[in-house]
Amino acid sequence: MSDSELTMAAHGAGHGAALEESPYGMQSKKLAMWLFIASDAVTFAVALVAYGYLRIGSPDWTRPFNFWPSIANGLVMTFVLLSSSLTMLVAVRAAKAGDKHKSIQWIGFTMLLGIIFAGLHLREWFHMFADGWGLFHNPTGGSIDFGAAFFSVTGLHLLHVTSGVVALAVIAWGYNRGRLDQNHVETTSLYWHFVDIVWMFVFPLMYLMNAH
Amino acid sequence: MASERDPGMSTYVAIWAGFLAIVGIEVFITYQHPATKRLLAILLVLAFIEAGIGLLYFMHMKYERKILFWTIVPITVFVLFMMDHVWADAYRLFYLRMSQ
Repeated sequence: MSDSELTMAAHGAGHGAALEESPYGMQSKKLAMWLFIASDAVTFAVALVAYGYLRIGSPDWTRPFNFWPSIANGLVMTFVLLSSSLTMLVAVRAAKAGDKHKSIQWIGFTMLLGIIFAGLHLREWFHMFADGWGLFHNPTGGSIDFGAAFFSVTGLHLLHVTSGVVALAVIAWGYNRGRLDQNHVETTSLYWHFVDIVWMFVFPLMYLMNAH
Repeated sequence: MASERDPGMSTYVAIWAGFLAIVGIEVFITYQHPATKRLLAILLVLAFIEAGIGLLYFMHMKYERKILFWTIVPITVFVLFMMDHVWADAYRLFYLRMSQ
């Protein structure tokens, strides 16, 4: 086989490979999001395991949360975040149905709920700061590790919610201008649902396990 | 694509309501003041149930090809399992402090 024939054969194989169906039956960006979510799940697991380690190793661990306002506030935050997953599902369904206007509208509702969640979270933080809590401060005199664990884990989650709101804004903008399509909306929704699922662990472990 | 399948909004709303109910149960159990280890076990079991349902339905893993599940979930669970090696050391710290 001549060089030119080899080159043509290689190009043919290359195109064949490019057109070969993904074994996962999905676009590469969606698979990449799944892989990112798996790695991010491990990141959160590390943070929660570190919290457990500190808690077990501290004989004077503090359980500072009363039902009112802390647990009640956490319940409202949970309701808001769970509801945002529902609005995101509506947005994805609308995008798949080709209803761009409705999809963007429901992405907007999801972002609004994300912002409300972040606002409630920050309000709680600032109340705690006002009461003397900090990364390395415990106003009750117990272990200072509580503040380090609580603000680290909830801060990591809050960072993800904030990033999710920004990502949704970018996706909605691009989708509205026709630069992005329904697959981008669906892929971003995976991230949003993941952040919601993580909260299903953060709320019981960081709030309820520290309630008295 | 497999993910084109969709269980429908009524299923999503039912799952959403179920999640809220589970969170309510978690709070109720917390204020029954069970022993800390028992409370932790109950809360973790309920959280994993919520996570599994969310993964299958909200994130549509149930409707994707099985290879996605087998690529992602076992290795992630294995990594999470391997993290459990730290607990013995955490208890060692606790008992060393108590013996001082």
